[in-house]
Amino acid sequence: MKHSQLKEIIKKKASKIEFAIVTNLENGLSEIYEPGKSLSKEFEIHKEQIDNFFKLKKNGVIENTEIFIETYIRPIKVIIVGAVHIAQYLVDFAKSLNFEISIIDPRGYFASEQRFPDMKIINKWPDEAFKEIETNENSALIALTHDPKIDDPALQHAINKKFYYIGALGSKKTHENRCQRLKEAGFNSDQINSIHGPIGIKLGGRSAPEIALSIIAQLVSETYKK
Amino acid sequence: MKNSFDEKILEEANDWLNANQKVVLATVIQTWGSSPRQVGSRMIVNETGDFSGSVSGGCVESAVVRECIGLIKDNKPCKKIEFKVSNESAWEVGLACGGEIAVYLEQIN
Repeated sequence: MKHSQLKEIIKKKASKIEFAIVTNLENGLSEIYEPGKSLSKEFEIHKEQIDNFFKLKKNGVIENTEIFIETYIRPIKVIIVGAVHIAQYLVDFAKSLNFEISIIDPRGYFASEQRFPDMKIINKWPDEAFKEIETNENSALIALTHDPKIDDPALQHAINKKFYYIGALGSKKTHENRCQRLKEAGFNSDQINSIHGPIGIKLGGRSAPEIALSIIAQLVSETYKK
Repeated sequence: MKNSFDEKILEEANDWLNANQKVVLATVIQTWGSSPRQVGSRMIVNETGDFSGSVSGGCVESAVVRECIGLIKDNKPCKKIEFKVSNESAWEVGLACGGEIAVYLEQIN
């Protein structure tokens, strides 16, 4: 592989687009493929198979050939509501995972760039902020403010958009109150029960990094159930 | 779901190349039976044998490093190597887990 090609791969990874690296294991030739675009003559005959690897989101050698395909799929969008202390550790843990994190917090003093360098921070109320983020059933929400004014609109958005993971920070009592509010807002019990509250797997820890670890563990676990 | 982890090995390879090191990229291309790392797992090796990332749980890394240094010395562009179930005389390069893996080595230049 040429260094210039490696640089292009890194650039494509950073821009979060879907692509594949197609390599001929016999002669070492490799090429970057984007779904829908054409390939060079050498690889064009395998296009159908390459698209199939994309569909299955897998890597591997095309059967009875010496062609290796590595697919890069879009990372999962994780929206954190509340640029709080726990969020700082969540961002750290998520660095080595394939999650694309956005942070929403209308409170400017929390959502400062200094506290979250290189992060996409949306300094708006959730209803406004979600207009800037495309979300669907492949998205996840972590609500951390335990302030109903900020968390509730975000939770309602996540339920309506059928996020595969929704978690909300707060004690059992806080969560009961939250469920009651959502019920009054017209959500059914299945929708309300889709919220992981209190958030995170049981680790027993109480410090910010420990809570962040329990949340990220739950998120990864739910991601593999998809 | 696949590809949930991004180990930034390619990014590290770029850093090494920018520091004028010679780099071989090793990628798991096939696995059979129970193997520790999934297809697409990567490690990089430079001419002095420094490495980062992994292609197994530590079972075959030393052999991969040797092969990578050999590739640089012989100035070959690429090579495919397979590792099978370990036995006592070859403990160092076998997979104790009983799996088999194929690893593809390529020089980046």
